[in-house]
Formats: sequence, structure tokens, C-alpha cells
Amino acid sequence: MNTIAITGLQKAFGPRHVLRGIDLQVPRGELLGLVGPNGAGKSTLLRTLVGLVTRDAGEVAVLGRDPNDHALSIRRDSCYLPGETGVYQQMTGKAFLDFALGFYPRRQQGLYDRLLAGFELPLAQKVRSYSAGMKQKLALIASLVPDVDLYLLDEPDRALDASVRFFLRSVLLDLKAQGKTIVLSSHHLSEVETLADRLEFLLDGAFVAQERLAAARTRLRSHTRVRLAADVALPSGATVLAREPDGTLVLLTDRDPLLWLRDLPPDAVQSAEVGIARLEDLYQLLLDPTTNQRGGHS
Amino acid sequence: MIAKKTWREIRVMVLVYMLILELLAIPVILLWPDIYADLQRSTLLRNMGIDWLKRIGEGVGNRDSDIAFINWAAVMLFFRSTNLVGLAAAVLVGTGLFARERESQTFEFLLARPVSRGSILWQKFWPCALGVTVPIFLVNASAIFWSHCIDYDLPRWELFLASLHAAVYVLCFLAFTTWISVLSRVQAHVAFWVGGFTIVQIGIYLTQRIRQWSLFRLADFEWYGPIMTGNTPRWEMFDPIRGHGFTTYLLLATLLFYGLAWRALHRAEL
Repeated sequence: MNTIAITGLQKAFGPRHVLRGIDLQVPRGELLGLVGPNGAGKSTLLRTLVGLVTRDAGEVAVLGRDPNDHALSIRRDSCYLPGETGVYQQMTGKAFLDFALGFYPRRQQGLYDRLLAGFELPLAQKVRSYSAGMKQKLALIASLVPDVDLYLLDEPDRALDASVRFFLRSVLLDLKAQGKTIVLSSHHLSEVETLADRLEFLLDGAFVAQERLAAARTRLRSHTRVRLAADVALPSGATVLAREPDGTLVLLTDRDPLLWLRDLPPDAVQSAEVGIARLEDLYQLLLDPTTNQRGGHS
Repeated sequence: MIAKKTWREIRVMVLVYMLILELLAIPVILLWPDIYADLQRSTLLRNMGIDWLKRIGEGVGNRDSDIAFINWAAVMLFFRSTNLVGLAAAVLVGTGLFARERESQTFEFLLARPVSRGSILWQKFWPCALGVTVPIFLVNASAIFWSHCIDYDLPRWELFLASLHAAVYVLCFLAFTTWISVLSRVQAHVAFWVGGFTIVQIGIYLTQRIRQWSLFRLADFEWYGPIMTGNTPRWEMFDPIRGHGFTTYLLLATLLFYGLAWRALHRAEL
């Protein structure tokens, strides 16, 4: 059974079309990664699923219910973490969690204790004294601890450092192992990629076809990012595709990048990345009008 | 849950509001014998060219000191305190109800909880409604005690009726402010609109030929004086058919503004 089933979803705010015919099926127990540039429609899609935004056209079923008619019931069985979550500054961390979790009939006490231990938040202090990362951790506890069937997380790793993101990844995988369905949007492509069962790329209100996405990512994987030492000229066998402000060169090599790098003189390379598809590069490639073919798919 | 949170946010404000009302009430009551003596010596108010000031002067300078004291209470406890402090409290409390949620980006978080928007509105509104109306009754009840200290008496039933009208009046402003708060993204905008509206109403009230069109006409001495002295029958306040029914109209206006706030909140998109 699909936890989420969407067909032809459309939404416009005035003249601006935010979602243009989205089709999506998310089976129970799947962890779906949603990536895309700012303004692509990720947040609107998640808001539509919990009935915070009403759709203009299309069919949507979340946990078997239509969000336009049964938003409250869906929100009882799901938890949504907004992308720009504010937390009540005048409350203590503890009071905020009691408030936020008090709306749900069941909570996962073990997970609550684990998150509290992992995040090390000063719960007795007022939230106004928290850093952005601490506020995000608080919002995460409030969104992950309710014992529900579906978690919709809009950029859950925002403002979190690498070690906390790693911890969060293990928590999400544990939730998935319990059979919970998770949809998360993120700007960290590599992290979503390692975590998600499936990745959907939202661009200008429509999903990018999987074949096109795969082709773009294959192409990006052939790119090599190299930062050469100051006095070293670019060796032969590579074409410069782009030059970044910090001096990093994006190259297309004429043979296996690792072999090309191996043949460089010692100390010529300050840093190098091979085979990593950066989200911003993917955006650039997909936004390139010469390869711009959009469309929804399921 | 939301009601408890709302109460925590406004409780200090409510306490200060009640304290101000009380501090405004005590001296005007305790100093009444001296003030009355001064009023007997002065004919200034009674000879004022402005009708409504003249009527206040005649009321508080009445030869019967008991009636004069009741009129004095109508002017000071209601026309002055409730209008100034009560309305200010309603506006201050109501301004942040939703606009602050938007400003601090907690609006979406709140709407995403498994609770209906109607329930959010109600749970935010009723603690504020109690917060701005209950102090009116409590402070005016305490005025009976302070009156006994100077060997005067205030009519309890009439005082309750006047307090009831004042509470409904303040409640109407709270509902209006709540509606504007739902519509606004910034608290300052709510203060601007509600404050602007109130100032225009005051301006109209102070302009001789058009003052009957001001909302303050429903909460001035000419309204509270007859209630306090027992000259306004109960049915006249509440019955729009046999009487003027202005208290009922204010209550209906409160319901209307609450309904508008409800509709605006249901239509609100993020």
C-alpha cells in the first residue's frame, strides 16, 4: 500500500505555478529523498501533503486520506517539520518539547531519550539563548519523537554540523527500519543519496525524469575538481569546464581521472575530488536550457 | 495546550493591566470628598460650552453627593479607566496573537500540529478574553470596598451592569484586533491599523457635530452615567427592539469580528 499517492498535482500562487502536474507514489516504509533548488516547490509539496496548502488540481492521498478533506486526521498520524521552523523564544527547551509533543497521543520514549542524549541540549534554558543549530535540534526532537506512520521533513539537516548530521542519519535509518515512511528534502545531495531508498529531483515545480537525472549525474561523475599549487600550470590531458572563485578547477579529463591525477608531479595538487556529484553542479546542468526537458513521472 | 501557552504569554500583562486599573481607581475614590467640595465651589464644568463636558460637570456636581459620587464613578472607573486602559490592554494582548507567530516563524509549526485552525483561534482567544474582561469586574468590585472607606456606597447591581457593558466593549476591540492580527504578518502593522482606527474614533468623538458616529459614544459618561444611577433599564441595554440594545450590538460585533478572524485563519496560506 502506498503511504503517499499523488497524481497530476498542481498548485499556483497567483500567476506563479509552483507545482506543475506532480505524480508520485511512496510505498509504506520507504525513505524518499526530495532534492531541488530553492523555489523548486519542495516545501509547497510537503505542505500540500499535510493540508497546509490546498491544491488547485490533481489527486492526493496521504495514508489513504485526502489532505483537503482530512488534514487534521493526516496530521494526527504524521509529523511535519517545516523548512524554516521557528521555536518559541520565551519558552525553555523543556517547555517547548512538552508543548510540541503534547499534541500527539503517543511518543517514542526510547527515541526521545536517545535524541536528548545525542543532541545535548540545555533544556532548562530559554530557547532565545540557543544557537541556530540547537533550535533545529529542538525542532527535530519535536518532529521525530511522536509515534506516527509518516514523517515529512523539510531540510532537517539545516544548520547542523557534520557529526550531528551523521547522528541524524542513523536515527532516520532506525525509523525506516521500524517501517515508518519518511520523505525528506535536503540541499545535501550526497547525504540524501546515501540515506534515501529513492531520490526525486524537483525542478521548477516538476520532477526531473529519472533517466535525465541519471545521465546528468553520470556526466558529473566524470568531472574532476582540482586545486593546483600556486605555481603549477594545468598539465595536458584535461579541459577546464569552470573556474571557481577559490581557484578550484572543474576539469574533464581525457582518461580515467584517477590515472590522470596519479601522473601529476608530486605536490602539484592541493586538493582533488573525483566522482562526487555536487548539488549545485547538478542544478547548473539541469537548468541548462540546451538539456531542459521537464515532466512529471511516477 | 495552546490556551495554557497563551495564558503564560499574557499573564504578566494582565496582572499589570489590573494593577493599573486598581491604581487609577483608588485615588479617585478616596479623594472624592475633597474633589466634591472643590466641585461645589467651581462652576467651570457646568458652564462649559461643550455639551458633553457640561453634562459631566452637572452629573458630578449634583447637589446630592451620593448621586454625584455615582456619576463620578461612572466617569472615572468607566469613561476614563476602561476606555483608556481597557482598550489599550485589548489591543496589546490581541496584536501579537497571530502576527507574532508569523514574525517568529512559529505560525507554520503551530498550524502543522494536529489541531484545527478553529481550535487554535479559540484557545488563543478565550484566555485573552478573560484576561481583559475579568479585571474590569474585579477592580470595579474593589471600588465598593474603597467607597466604604469614605462612607459612600456604589450600587452593586448597576455597577455590575456597567462592568458588563465595559467588558463587552473591550471584548469587541479584542476581537477586532485578533482579526487584524490574523491578517497581518507583522505586529507593528496590527498596532498601526488598530491604533489608527482608535485615534480616528477619538477624533470623531471630540468633534461636536459628528460625535454620535464614534464608537466611544457607546462608552462615555452619557452611557455609563444612566446605567450607574439606575436610569437605564436592563432590557434597554440588551433589547434591540424595545430599547437601543447597544450592549447586544457590541456582542454581535464581537461575534462578527471573531467570525472574520476564523475565516481569515482558515484561508491563510503560508
